[in-house]
Amino acid sequence: MTVKMEASAGKLSHNTLMTYGLVIAVVGTYLTYLNVITGMAVFSFFGGIAAVAALWWGSDTIKHLCSYGLGTGVPSAGMIAFGSGAIAMIVGTKFGMASPIVTLILAAILGAVIGYTANNIINMNIPVMVMSLMELAIVGAMTMLGFAAMCTGSFNFSDMIIGSMSLSIESAGAAAGGAQQFLVTAVPQYGNSLIGGSALAVIFFLGALALQHPFNACLGPNESQDRTLMLALSCGFLSMIAVAVMSLVFVGLLAGTVNIIISLIAWFYCYKSYIELSKRDAYAWLDSKPIIEVGGDQ
Amino acid sequence: MSALGGAAAGGEGLNMTGTIVGIVIILVSLGATAVLGASLVVPLVGIIVGGALIGFGVHFVPVGGAPAAMGQAPGIATGVAMLAAGAGLAGLFGGAWAYEATGDFLISILGGAVGGGLMMAITCLMVNATYVFAMGIPAASGKVAKDPITGDSFPEYKSQGTEGHGLPFISFVGGVIGGTIAGLGGTLIYIELLAAYQTGLATMMQADAEAIAPLAISLAGIFAIGFFLVNAVLAAYNITGTIEGPHDPKFKRVPRAVIGCAVASAFCGLISLLLVMNIGM
Repeated sequence: MTVKMEASAGKLSHNTLMTYGLVIAVVGTYLTYLNVITGMAVFSFFGGIAAVAALWWGSDTIKHLCSYGLGTGVPSAGMIAFGSGAIAMIVGTKFGMASPIVTLILAAILGAVIGYTANNIINMNIPVMVMSLMELAIVGAMTMLGFAAMCTGSFNFSDMIIGSMSLSIESAGAAAGGAQQFLVTAVPQYGNSLIGGSALAVIFFLGALALQHPFNACLGPNESQDRTLMLALSCGFLSMIAVAVMSLVFVGLLAGTVNIIISLIAWFYCYKSYIELSKRDAYAWLDSKPIIEVGGDQ
Repeated sequence: MSALGGAAAGGEGLNMTGTIVGIVIILVSLGATAVLGASLVVPLVGIIVGGALIGFGVHFVPVGGAPAAMGQAPGIATGVAMLAAGAGLAGLFGGAWAYEATGDFLISILGGAVGGGLMMAITCLMVNATYVFAMGIPAASGKVAKDPITGDSFPEYKSQGTEGHGLPFISFVGGVIGGTIAGLGGTLIYIELLAAYQTGLATMMQADAEAIAPLAISLAGIFAIGFFLVNAVLAAYNITGTIEGPHDPKFKRVPRAVIGCAVASAFCGLISLLLVMNIGM
Protein backbone atom coordinates (compact mmCIF):
# COMPACT_ATOMS: atom_id res chain seq x y z
CA MET A 1 0.00 0.00 0.00
CA THR A 2 1.42 3.35 -0.99
CA VAL A 3 -0.47 5.53 1.45
CA LYS A 4 1.33 5.61 4.76
CA MET A 5 -0.49 7.04 7.72
CA GLU A 6 1.15 9.33 10.18
CA ALA A 7 2.49 7.54 13.23
CA SER A 8 4.67 9.34 15.71
CA ALA A 9 8.12 7.91 16.38
CA GLY A 10 7.67 8.24 20.12
CA LYS A 11 10.09 8.31 22.98
CA LEU A 12 9.94 4.61 23.80
CA SER A 13 11.13 2.31 21.03
CA HIS A 14 8.78 -0.49 20.08
CA ASN A 15 11.21 -3.15 21.29
CA THR A 16 11.46 -1.56 24.73
CA LEU A 17 7.68 -1.44 24.93
CA MET A 18 7.42 -5.06 23.84
CA THR A 19 9.95 -6.19 26.46
CA TYR A 20 8.15 -4.36 29.27
CA GLY A 21 4.73 -5.54 28.12
CA LEU A 22 5.77 -9.14 27.74
CA VAL A 23 7.66 -9.36 31.03
CA ILE A 24 4.93 -7.66 33.07
CA ALA A 25 2.26 -9.83 31.42
CA VAL A 26 4.03 -13.10 32.19
CA VAL A 27 5.22 -12.11 35.68
CA GLY A 28 1.83 -10.62 36.58
CA THR A 29 0.02 -13.80 35.54
CA TYR A 30 2.44 -15.87 37.61
CA LEU A 31 1.95 -13.59 40.63
CA THR A 32 -1.67 -14.74 40.83
CA TYR A 33 -0.12 -18.03 41.98
CA LEU A 34 0.37 -16.27 45.32
CA ASN A 35 -3.32 -17.09 45.81
CA VAL A 36 -2.45 -20.78 45.94
CA ILE A 37 0.60 -20.25 48.16
CA THR A 38 -1.15 -18.03 50.70
CA GLY A 39 -4.56 -19.65 50.44
CA MET A 40 -6.24 -16.30 49.86
CA ALA A 41 -7.69 -14.86 46.67
CA VAL A 42 -6.67 -11.22 47.16
CA PHE A 43 -3.73 -11.46 44.76
CA SER A 44 -6.04 -11.94 41.78
CA PHE A 45 -5.63 -8.32 40.70
CA PHE A 46 -2.11 -9.11 39.41
CA GLY A 47 -3.85 -10.87 36.51
CA GLY A 48 -5.58 -7.64 35.58
CA ILE A 49 -2.26 -5.75 35.74
CA ALA A 50 -0.75 -8.37 33.43
CA ALA A 51 -3.65 -7.97 30.97
CA VAL A 52 -3.37 -4.17 30.97
CA ALA A 53 0.39 -4.40 30.34
CA ALA A 54 -0.28 -6.65 27.34
CA LEU A 55 -2.93 -4.23 26.03
CA TRP A 56 -0.50 -1.32 26.46
CA TRP A 57 2.10 -3.11 24.35
CA GLY A 58 -0.53 -4.28 21.85
CA SER A 59 -1.84 -0.81 21.09
CA ASP A 60 1.68 0.20 20.02
CA THR A 61 1.89 -2.90 17.81
CA ILE A 62 -1.45 -1.97 16.22
CA LYS A 63 0.00 1.47 15.57
CA HIS A 64 2.93 -0.04 13.68
CA LEU A 65 0.76 -2.45 11.69
CA CYS A 66 -2.02 -0.03 10.84
CA SER A 67 0.35 2.75 9.80
CA TYR A 68 0.74 0.73 6.59
CA GLY A 69 -2.89 1.29 5.64
CA LEU A 70 -4.55 -2.12 5.64
CA GLY A 71 -7.69 -0.68 4.07
CA THR A 72 -9.91 -2.50 6.56
CA GLY A 73 -9.89 -0.21 9.56
CA VAL A 74 -7.98 -0.46 12.80
CA PRO A 75 -10.59 -2.56 14.69
CA SER A 76 -10.03 -5.57 12.43
CA ALA A 77 -6.52 -5.92 13.90
CA GLY A 78 -8.01 -6.11 17.40
CA MET A 79 -10.50 -8.74 16.22
CA ILE A 80 -7.87 -11.03 14.65
CA ALA A 81 -5.68 -10.60 17.73
CA PHE A 82 -8.37 -11.87 20.07
CA GLY A 83 -9.71 -14.46 17.62
CA SER A 84 -6.33 -16.17 17.49
CA GLY A 85 -5.47 -15.30 21.10
CA ALA A 86 -8.62 -16.97 22.45
CA ILE A 87 -7.74 -20.24 20.75
CA ALA A 88 -4.18 -20.22 22.09
CA MET A 89 -5.22 -19.16 25.58
CA ILE A 90 -7.89 -21.81 26.19
CA VAL A 91 -5.59 -24.60 25.02
CA GLY A 92 -2.61 -23.09 26.88
CA THR A 93 -4.36 -23.25 30.25
CA LYS A 94 -4.30 -27.04 30.02
CA PHE A 95 -0.63 -27.13 30.99
CA GLY A 96 -0.81 -26.43 34.73
CA MET A 97 2.08 -24.37 36.10
CA ALA A 98 3.55 -23.86 32.63
CA SER A 99 0.28 -22.36 31.34
CA PRO A 100 1.41 -18.73 30.83
CA ILE A 101 4.57 -19.82 29.00
CA VAL A 102 2.77 -22.42 26.86
CA THR A 103 0.03 -19.88 26.05
CA LEU A 104 2.71 -17.44 24.92
CA ILE A 105 4.44 -20.00 22.71
CA LEU A 106 1.20 -21.35 21.20
CA ALA A 107 0.00 -17.81 20.46
CA ALA A 108 3.32 -16.92 18.85
CA ILE A 109 3.19 -19.96 16.55
CA LEU A 110 -0.47 -19.35 15.70
CA GLY A 111 0.17 -15.67 15.01
CA ALA A 112 3.16 -16.49 12.82
CA VAL A 113 1.10 -18.89 10.69
CA ILE A 114 -1.76 -16.38 10.33
CA GLY A 115 0.75 -13.63 9.57
CA TYR A 116 2.39 -15.78 6.91
CA THR A 117 -1.04 -16.53 5.45
CA ALA A 118 -1.96 -12.85 5.32
CA ASN A 119 1.38 -11.75 3.94
CA ASN A 120 2.25 -14.46 1.43
CA ILE A 121 -0.97 -16.25 0.48
CA ILE A 122 -3.28 -13.25 0.55
CA ASN A 123 -0.37 -11.14 -0.79
CA MET A 124 -0.50 -8.22 1.62
CA ASN A 125 3.30 -7.78 1.30
CA ILE A 126 3.61 -5.66 4.43
CA PRO A 127 7.08 -5.96 5.99
CA VAL A 128 5.90 -5.96 9.60
CA MET A 129 2.88 -8.23 8.99
CA VAL A 130 4.21 -11.56 10.35
CA MET A 131 5.86 -9.98 13.38
CA SER A 132 2.84 -7.78 14.13
CA LEU A 133 0.25 -10.56 13.92
CA MET A 134 2.52 -12.73 16.06
CA GLU A 135 2.72 -9.99 18.69
CA LEU A 136 -1.02 -9.34 18.46
CA ALA A 137 -1.85 -13.02 18.96
CA ILE A 138 0.36 -13.04 22.07
CA VAL A 139 -1.29 -9.83 23.28
CA GLY A 140 -4.75 -11.33 22.77
CA ALA A 141 -3.84 -14.55 24.53
CA MET A 142 -2.03 -12.92 27.46
CA THR A 143 -4.82 -10.37 27.95
CA MET A 144 -7.44 -13.10 28.09
CA LEU A 145 -5.29 -15.24 30.37
CA GLY A 146 -4.62 -12.28 32.66
CA PHE A 147 -8.28 -11.30 32.91
CA ALA A 148 -9.34 -14.92 33.33
CA ALA A 149 -6.76 -15.33 36.11
CA MET A 150 -8.08 -12.17 37.75
CA CYS A 151 -11.64 -13.45 37.47
CA THR A 152 -11.07 -16.92 38.88
CA GLY A 153 -7.87 -16.36 40.87
CA SER A 154 -6.05 -19.08 38.94
CA PHE A 155 -4.68 -19.80 35.48
CA ASN A 156 -5.51 -23.48 35.52
CA PHE A 157 -7.98 -25.04 33.10
CA SER A 158 -9.68 -27.03 35.83
CA ASP A 159 -10.33 -23.90 37.91
CA MET A 160 -11.85 -22.15 34.92
CA ILE A 161 -14.26 -24.95 34.03
CA ILE A 162 -15.42 -26.16 37.45
CA GLY A 163 -17.75 -23.70 39.14
CA SER A 164 -18.57 -25.60 42.30
CA MET A 165 -18.85 -29.11 43.63
CA SER A 166 -22.18 -30.60 44.51
CA LEU A 167 -22.71 -33.74 46.52
CA SER A 168 -24.60 -36.57 44.96
CA ILE A 169 -26.14 -39.05 47.37
CA GLU A 170 -27.23 -42.43 46.17
CA SER A 171 -28.62 -45.25 48.14
CA ALA A 172 -26.18 -48.14 48.17
CA GLY A 173 -28.69 -50.56 49.52
CA ALA A 174 -29.22 -51.82 53.02
CA ALA A 175 -26.19 -53.19 54.80
CA ALA A 176 -26.22 -56.09 57.15
CA GLY A 177 -28.20 -55.25 60.24
CA GLY A 178 -30.73 -53.12 58.39
CA ALA A 179 -28.82 -49.83 58.41
CA GLN A 180 -29.27 -47.84 55.23
CA GLN A 181 -26.02 -47.07 53.44
CA PHE A 182 -25.42 -44.12 51.13
CA LEU A 183 -22.77 -43.52 48.52
CA VAL A 184 -21.70 -39.86 48.60
CA THR A 185 -19.69 -38.51 45.69
CA ALA A 186 -18.62 -34.96 44.83
CA VAL A 187 -19.79 -34.01 41.35
CA PRO A 188 -18.21 -30.97 39.67
CA GLN A 189 -20.66 -28.41 38.28
CA TYR A 190 -19.52 -26.96 34.97
CA GLY A 191 -22.39 -24.60 34.14
CA ASN A 192 -21.49 -21.90 36.69
CA SER A 193 -17.79 -21.61 35.86
CA LEU A 194 -15.88 -18.99 33.87
CA ILE A 195 -15.80 -21.01 30.66
CA GLY A 196 -18.91 -23.12 31.23
CA GLY A 197 -20.96 -20.00 31.87
CA SER A 198 -19.41 -18.32 28.82
CA ALA A 199 -18.14 -15.42 30.94
CA LEU A 200 -14.95 -15.85 28.90
CA ALA A 201 -16.81 -14.47 25.88
CA VAL A 202 -17.36 -11.23 27.80
CA ILE A 203 -13.64 -11.07 28.61
CA PHE A 204 -12.94 -11.70 24.92
CA PHE A 205 -14.83 -8.60 23.81
CA LEU A 206 -13.78 -6.44 26.78
CA GLY A 207 -10.18 -7.09 25.77
CA ALA A 208 -10.81 -6.62 22.06
CA LEU A 209 -12.50 -3.25 22.63
CA ALA A 210 -9.64 -2.07 24.84
CA LEU A 211 -7.08 -3.17 22.26
CA GLN A 212 -8.65 -1.71 19.15
CA HIS A 213 -9.82 1.61 20.54
CA PRO A 214 -6.67 3.60 21.53
CA PHE A 215 -4.97 3.95 18.15
CA ASN A 216 -8.33 4.21 16.37
CA ALA A 217 -9.21 7.18 18.56
CA CYS A 218 -5.82 8.90 18.52
CA LEU A 219 -4.64 8.36 14.92
CA GLY A 220 -4.04 11.37 12.76
CA PRO A 221 -1.35 13.93 12.06
CA ASN A 222 -1.15 14.99 15.69
CA GLU A 223 -0.83 11.49 17.15
CA SER A 224 1.68 11.28 19.98
CA GLN A 225 2.90 8.07 21.57
CA ASP A 226 2.43 8.94 25.22
CA ARG A 227 -1.17 10.02 24.69
CA THR A 228 -2.08 6.86 22.72
CA LEU A 229 -0.44 4.67 25.34
CA MET A 230 -2.15 6.52 28.17
CA LEU A 231 -5.48 5.94 26.45
CA ALA A 232 -4.53 2.27 26.12
CA LEU A 233 -3.93 2.08 29.87
CA SER A 234 -7.17 3.91 30.53
CA CYS A 235 -9.16 1.53 28.28
CA GLY A 236 -7.39 -1.45 29.82
CA PHE A 237 -8.32 -0.43 33.35
CA LEU A 238 -11.87 0.34 32.22
CA SER A 239 -12.18 -3.25 31.01
CA MET A 240 -10.52 -4.36 34.24
CA ILE A 241 -13.33 -2.72 36.23
CA ALA A 242 -15.88 -4.84 34.37
CA VAL A 243 -13.78 -7.97 34.93
CA ALA A 244 -13.44 -7.03 38.62
CA VAL A 245 -17.23 -6.92 38.93
CA MET A 246 -17.44 -10.35 37.29
CA SER A 247 -14.76 -11.65 39.66
CA LEU A 248 -17.04 -11.03 42.67
CA VAL A 249 -18.87 -14.21 41.68
CA PHE A 250 -15.77 -16.37 41.40
CA VAL A 251 -13.24 -15.16 44.00
CA GLY A 252 -15.53 -13.91 46.72
CA LEU A 253 -16.39 -10.56 48.27
CA LEU A 254 -13.01 -9.56 49.73
CA ALA A 255 -10.84 -10.30 46.71
CA GLY A 256 -13.52 -8.96 44.37
CA THR A 257 -13.66 -5.67 46.27
CA VAL A 258 -9.86 -5.40 46.19
CA ASN A 259 -10.01 -5.93 42.41
CA ILE A 260 -12.68 -3.26 41.99
CA ILE A 261 -10.88 -0.67 44.15
CA ILE A 262 -7.51 -1.17 42.45
CA SER A 263 -8.98 -1.00 38.95
CA LEU A 264 -11.11 2.06 39.79
CA ILE A 265 -8.14 3.99 41.22
CA ALA A 266 -5.90 3.02 38.29
CA TRP A 267 -8.56 3.91 35.73
CA PHE A 268 -9.26 7.25 37.34
CA TYR A 269 -5.56 8.16 37.40
CA CYS A 270 -5.01 7.10 33.76
CA TYR A 271 -8.13 8.81 32.50
CA LYS A 272 -7.17 12.04 34.26
CA SER A 273 -3.66 11.86 32.79
CA TYR A 274 -5.12 11.18 29.35
CA ILE A 275 -7.34 14.26 29.54
CA GLU A 276 -4.31 16.32 30.57
CA LEU A 277 -2.27 14.96 27.66
CA SER A 278 -5.16 15.71 25.30
CA LYS A 279 -5.24 19.28 26.57
CA ARG A 280 -1.48 19.50 26.06
CA ASP A 281 -1.74 18.31 22.43
CA ALA A 282 -4.83 20.29 21.54
CA TYR A 283 -4.51 23.61 19.74
CA ALA A 284 -7.02 25.17 22.09
CA TRP A 285 -9.25 23.87 24.82
CA LEU A 286 -12.61 25.29 25.73
CA ASP A 287 -14.23 23.89 28.82
CA SER A 288 -17.94 23.75 28.20
CA LYS A 289 -20.00 26.19 30.20
CA PRO A 290 -23.73 26.79 30.50
CA ILE A 291 -25.07 28.99 27.75
CA ILE A 292 -24.88 32.56 28.94
CA GLU A 293 -28.24 34.28 28.96
CA VAL A 294 -27.97 37.56 27.15
CA GLY A 295 -30.19 40.22 28.61
CA GLY A 296 -31.86 43.16 26.88
CA ASP A 297 -33.19 43.09 23.33
CA GLN A 298 -30.88 40.37 22.17
CA MET B 1 -8.56 3.83 6.62
CA SER B 2 -10.96 2.70 3.95
CA ALA B 3 -10.83 6.13 2.42
CA LEU B 4 -7.10 5.70 1.94
CA GLY B 5 -7.33 2.16 0.62
CA GLY B 6 -7.75 1.38 -3.03
CA ALA B 7 -4.97 -0.25 -4.98
CA ALA B 8 -4.39 -3.91 -4.27
CA ALA B 9 -1.51 -4.48 -1.92
CA GLY B 10 0.12 -7.29 -3.83
CA GLY B 11 -1.80 -7.14 -7.09
CA GLU B 12 -4.11 -9.83 -8.41
CA GLY B 13 -3.35 -13.51 -8.78
CA LEU B 14 -1.92 -16.18 -6.57
CA ASN B 15 1.48 -16.22 -4.94
CA MET B 16 2.68 -19.72 -5.87
CA THR B 17 5.32 -20.13 -3.12
CA GLY B 18 2.90 -18.96 -0.46
CA THR B 19 0.16 -21.23 -1.76
CA ILE B 20 2.38 -24.31 -1.78
CA VAL B 21 3.61 -23.58 1.76
CA GLY B 22 -0.04 -23.11 2.74
CA ILE B 23 -1.05 -26.49 1.36
CA VAL B 24 1.87 -28.06 3.24
CA ILE B 25 0.60 -26.42 6.45
CA ILE B 26 -2.87 -27.92 5.85
CA LEU B 27 -1.38 -31.39 5.27
CA VAL B 28 0.89 -31.13 8.33
CA SER B 29 -2.09 -30.09 10.48
CA LEU B 30 -4.12 -33.03 9.20
CA GLY B 31 -1.18 -35.38 9.74
CA ALA B 32 -0.53 -34.15 13.27
CA THR B 33 -4.20 -34.56 14.12
CA ALA B 34 -4.23 -38.09 12.69
CA VAL B 35 -1.22 -39.01 14.86
CA LEU B 36 -2.49 -37.41 18.08
CA GLY B 37 -6.12 -38.43 17.82
CA ALA B 38 -7.38 -40.24 14.74
CA SER B 39 -11.06 -39.60 15.47
CA LEU B 40 -10.47 -35.85 15.25
CA VAL B 41 -9.52 -35.81 11.56
CA VAL B 42 -13.15 -35.55 10.43
CA PRO B 43 -13.90 -32.52 12.66
CA LEU B 44 -10.70 -30.86 11.41
CA VAL B 45 -11.78 -31.37 7.79
CA GLY B 46 -15.14 -29.82 8.70
CA ILE B 47 -13.35 -26.85 10.27
CA ILE B 48 -11.18 -26.35 7.17
CA VAL B 49 -14.23 -26.47 4.87
CA GLY B 50 -16.11 -24.11 7.19
CA GLY B 51 -13.22 -21.64 7.22
CA ALA B 52 -12.93 -21.70 3.44
CA LEU B 53 -16.71 -21.11 3.16
CA ILE B 54 -16.45 -18.08 5.45
CA GLY B 55 -13.60 -16.66 3.37
CA PHE B 56 -15.60 -17.28 0.19
CA GLY B 57 -18.86 -15.89 1.55
CA VAL B 58 -17.39 -12.66 2.88
CA HIS B 59 -16.46 -11.62 -0.68
CA PHE B 60 -20.15 -11.51 -1.69
CA VAL B 61 -21.06 -9.02 1.01
CA PRO B 62 -21.24 -5.43 -0.29
CA VAL B 63 -18.92 -3.49 2.02
CA GLY B 64 -18.75 0.25 1.62
CA GLY B 65 -16.87 1.39 4.67
CA ALA B 66 -16.55 5.07 5.50
CA PRO B 67 -17.00 6.29 1.88
CA ALA B 68 -20.40 4.58 1.76
CA ALA B 69 -21.48 6.44 4.88
CA MET B 70 -20.79 9.66 3.01
CA GLY B 71 -22.63 8.44 -0.08
CA GLN B 72 -19.47 8.19 -2.16
CA ALA B 73 -19.24 4.44 -2.67
CA PRO B 74 -21.86 1.69 -2.95
CA GLY B 75 -22.34 -0.83 -0.21
CA ILE B 76 -23.17 -1.08 3.47
CA ALA B 77 -21.46 1.64 5.46
CA THR B 78 -19.20 -0.38 7.75
CA GLY B 79 -16.04 -2.49 7.65
CA VAL B 80 -15.71 -6.03 6.32
CA ALA B 81 -14.77 -7.54 9.66
CA MET B 82 -17.77 -6.05 11.48
CA LEU B 83 -20.26 -7.03 8.79
CA ALA B 84 -18.90 -10.54 8.43
CA ALA B 85 -18.85 -11.01 12.18
CA GLY B 86 -22.46 -9.82 12.37
CA ALA B 87 -23.71 -12.13 9.64
CA GLY B 88 -21.64 -15.07 10.83
CA LEU B 89 -22.60 -14.78 14.47
CA ALA B 90 -26.28 -14.39 13.61
CA GLY B 91 -25.96 -17.57 11.57
CA LEU B 92 -24.05 -19.30 14.33
CA PHE B 93 -26.72 -18.53 16.91
CA GLY B 94 -29.42 -19.76 14.52
CA GLY B 95 -27.51 -22.94 13.82
CA ALA B 96 -26.68 -23.55 17.48
CA TRP B 97 -30.32 -23.18 18.40
CA ALA B 98 -31.39 -25.53 15.63
CA TYR B 99 -28.82 -28.09 16.81
CA GLU B 100 -30.12 -27.80 20.36
CA ALA B 101 -33.71 -28.27 19.20
CA THR B 102 -33.29 -31.01 16.61
CA GLY B 103 -29.80 -32.49 16.93
CA ASP B 104 -29.84 -32.98 13.17
CA PHE B 105 -26.65 -32.02 11.33
CA LEU B 106 -28.24 -30.96 8.04
CA ILE B 107 -31.06 -28.94 9.60
CA SER B 108 -28.57 -27.19 11.86
CA ILE B 109 -26.18 -26.04 9.17
CA LEU B 110 -29.11 -24.98 6.98
CA GLY B 111 -30.54 -23.13 9.98
CA GLY B 112 -27.22 -21.35 10.33
CA ALA B 113 -27.23 -20.48 6.63
CA VAL B 114 -30.76 -19.09 6.84
CA GLY B 115 -29.84 -17.11 9.97
CA GLY B 116 -26.85 -15.48 8.29
CA GLY B 117 -28.76 -14.79 5.07
CA LEU B 118 -31.72 -13.34 6.95
CA MET B 119 -29.49 -11.03 8.94
CA MET B 120 -27.87 -9.74 5.74
CA ALA B 121 -31.25 -9.37 3.99
CA ILE B 122 -32.59 -7.23 6.85
CA THR B 123 -29.38 -5.19 6.96
CA CYS B 124 -29.41 -4.60 3.17
CA LEU B 125 -33.10 -3.63 3.21
CA MET B 126 -32.73 -1.15 6.04
CA VAL B 127 -29.50 0.24 4.57
CA ASN B 128 -31.29 0.88 1.29
CA ALA B 129 -34.25 2.46 3.08
CA THR B 130 -31.80 4.78 4.86
CA TYR B 131 -29.96 5.61 1.64
CA VAL B 132 -33.07 6.30 -0.40
CA PHE B 133 -35.43 7.91 2.09
CA ALA B 134 -33.03 9.52 4.57
CA MET B 135 -29.97 10.44 2.52
CA GLY B 136 -31.87 10.90 -0.74
CA ILE B 137 -29.44 9.03 -2.97
CA PRO B 138 -30.37 6.51 -5.68
CA ALA B 139 -28.64 3.14 -5.96
CA ALA B 140 -25.94 3.16 -8.62
CA SER B 141 -22.87 0.98 -9.04
CA GLY B 142 -19.64 2.51 -10.25
CA LYS B 143 -18.00 -0.73 -11.35
CA VAL B 144 -20.51 -1.95 -13.97
CA ALA B 145 -22.77 -0.06 -16.43
CA LYS B 146 -25.76 -2.39 -16.07
CA ASP B 147 -27.09 -4.48 -13.22
CA PRO B 148 -26.33 -8.10 -14.23
CA ILE B 149 -29.69 -9.32 -12.86
CA THR B 150 -32.29 -6.60 -13.49
CA GLY B 151 -30.55 -4.88 -16.40
CA ASP B 152 -31.05 -1.42 -14.88
CA SER B 153 -28.51 1.09 -16.12
CA PHE B 154 -26.36 2.99 -13.64
CA PRO B 155 -24.34 5.82 -15.27
CA GLU B 156 -27.30 8.24 -15.46
CA TYR B 157 -27.82 8.02 -11.70
CA LYS B 158 -24.21 8.08 -10.63
CA SER B 159 -23.07 11.40 -9.14
CA GLN B 160 -19.88 12.94 -10.44
CA GLY B 161 -16.78 12.31 -8.40
CA THR B 162 -18.16 9.25 -6.65
CA GLU B 163 -17.65 5.54 -7.22
CA GLY B 164 -21.40 5.07 -7.15
CA HIS B 165 -23.70 5.04 -4.15
CA GLY B 166 -26.57 3.24 -2.53
CA LEU B 167 -27.09 -0.50 -2.69
CA PRO B 168 -27.98 -1.81 -6.17
CA PHE B 169 -30.00 -5.03 -6.54
CA ILE B 170 -26.97 -7.14 -7.43
CA SER B 171 -25.24 -6.02 -4.22
CA PHE B 172 -28.37 -6.88 -2.23
CA VAL B 173 -28.41 -10.38 -3.74
CA GLY B 174 -24.67 -10.67 -3.12
CA GLY B 175 -25.17 -9.71 0.51
CA VAL B 176 -27.81 -12.38 1.06
CA ILE B 177 -25.69 -15.05 -0.68
CA GLY B 178 -22.64 -13.99 1.33
CA GLY B 179 -24.52 -14.09 4.63
CA THR B 180 -25.90 -17.53 3.76
CA ILE B 181 -22.51 -19.02 2.88
CA ALA B 182 -20.71 -17.40 5.82
CA GLY B 183 -23.43 -18.48 8.26
CA LEU B 184 -23.21 -22.01 6.89
CA GLY B 185 -19.43 -22.05 7.37
CA GLY B 186 -19.63 -20.67 10.90
CA THR B 187 -22.24 -23.21 11.95
CA LEU B 188 -20.27 -26.05 10.40
CA ILE B 189 -17.23 -25.10 12.51
CA TYR B 190 -19.38 -24.84 15.65
CA ILE B 191 -21.04 -28.22 15.19
CA GLU B 192 -17.79 -30.02 14.38
CA LEU B 193 -16.13 -28.55 17.47
CA LEU B 194 -19.15 -29.31 19.63
CA ALA B 195 -19.17 -32.96 18.58
CA ALA B 196 -15.42 -33.27 19.20
CA TYR B 197 -15.62 -31.65 22.65
CA GLN B 198 -18.72 -33.46 23.81
CA THR B 199 -17.11 -36.85 23.38
CA GLY B 200 -13.53 -35.73 24.05
CA LEU B 201 -14.14 -33.81 27.28
CA ALA B 202 -16.43 -36.49 28.64
CA THR B 203 -13.66 -39.08 28.31
CA MET B 204 -10.97 -36.71 29.52
CA MET B 205 -12.77 -35.76 32.74
CA GLN B 206 -14.62 -39.00 33.34
CA ALA B 207 -17.94 -37.20 33.41
CA ASP B 208 -21.12 -38.08 31.56
CA ALA B 209 -21.95 -36.19 28.39
CA GLU B 210 -24.95 -34.47 29.95
CA ALA B 211 -22.95 -32.85 32.78
CA ILE B 212 -20.28 -31.72 30.36
CA ALA B 213 -22.74 -30.20 27.85
CA PRO B 214 -22.64 -26.55 29.07
CA LEU B 215 -18.85 -26.65 29.01
CA ALA B 216 -18.69 -28.18 25.51
CA ILE B 217 -21.24 -25.69 24.17
CA SER B 218 -19.39 -22.69 25.66
CA LEU B 219 -16.00 -23.87 24.45
CA ALA B 220 -17.29 -24.62 20.95
CA GLY B 221 -19.04 -21.25 20.86
CA ILE B 222 -16.00 -19.23 21.95
CA PHE B 223 -13.71 -21.13 19.57
CA ALA B 224 -16.21 -20.70 16.72
CA ILE B 225 -16.26 -16.92 17.33
CA GLY B 226 -12.45 -16.93 17.34
CA PHE B 227 -12.30 -18.88 14.07
CA PHE B 228 -14.91 -16.65 12.52
CA LEU B 229 -13.07 -13.46 13.37
CA VAL B 230 -9.73 -14.81 12.11
CA ASN B 231 -11.27 -15.89 8.80
CA ALA B 232 -13.35 -12.74 8.38
CA VAL B 233 -10.35 -10.48 8.97
CA LEU B 234 -8.20 -12.50 6.56
CA ALA B 235 -10.93 -12.12 3.94
CA ALA B 236 -11.11 -8.41 4.77
CA TYR B 237 -7.35 -8.10 4.22
CA ASN B 238 -7.84 -9.74 0.83
CA ILE B 239 -10.58 -7.27 -0.09
CA THR B 240 -8.59 -4.24 1.19
CA GLY B 241 -11.38 -1.84 1.94
CA THR B 242 -14.51 -1.87 -0.15
CA ILE B 243 -16.21 -4.37 -2.46
CA GLU B 244 -19.55 -4.04 -4.21
CA GLY B 245 -20.51 -7.67 -4.45
CA PRO B 246 -20.03 -10.54 -6.91
CA HIS B 247 -19.83 -8.17 -9.93
CA ASP B 248 -16.88 -6.24 -8.49
CA PRO B 249 -13.49 -6.85 -10.21
CA LYS B 250 -12.00 -7.45 -6.76
CA PHE B 251 -14.14 -10.61 -6.58
CA LYS B 252 -11.52 -12.27 -8.81
CA ARG B 253 -9.19 -12.35 -5.79
CA VAL B 254 -11.43 -14.88 -4.05
CA PRO B 255 -9.18 -17.97 -4.58
CA ARG B 256 -6.48 -16.35 -2.46
CA ALA B 257 -8.87 -15.85 0.42
CA VAL B 258 -10.27 -19.38 0.17
CA ILE B 259 -6.79 -20.89 0.34
CA GLY B 260 -5.67 -18.45 3.04
CA CYS B 261 -8.71 -19.11 5.22
CA ALA B 262 -8.36 -22.88 4.75
CA VAL B 263 -4.72 -22.70 5.89
CA ALA B 264 -5.47 -20.49 8.89
CA SER B 265 -8.46 -22.66 9.85
CA ALA B 266 -6.43 -25.85 9.55
CA PHE B 267 -3.78 -24.59 11.92
CA CYS B 268 -6.22 -22.92 14.34
CA GLY B 269 -8.25 -26.15 14.21
CA LEU B 270 -5.22 -28.24 15.14
CA ILE B 271 -4.50 -25.97 18.12
CA SER B 272 -8.12 -25.93 19.29
CA LEU B 273 -8.38 -29.73 19.03
CA LEU B 274 -5.23 -30.07 21.18
CA LEU B 275 -7.62 -29.41 24.04
CA VAL B 276 -9.11 -32.89 23.78
CA MET B 277 -5.92 -34.65 22.71
CA ASN B 278 -3.80 -36.61 25.13
CA ILE B 279 -1.25 -33.96 26.00
CA GLY B 280 -0.68 -31.68 28.95
CA MET B 281 -2.72 -31.72 32.15
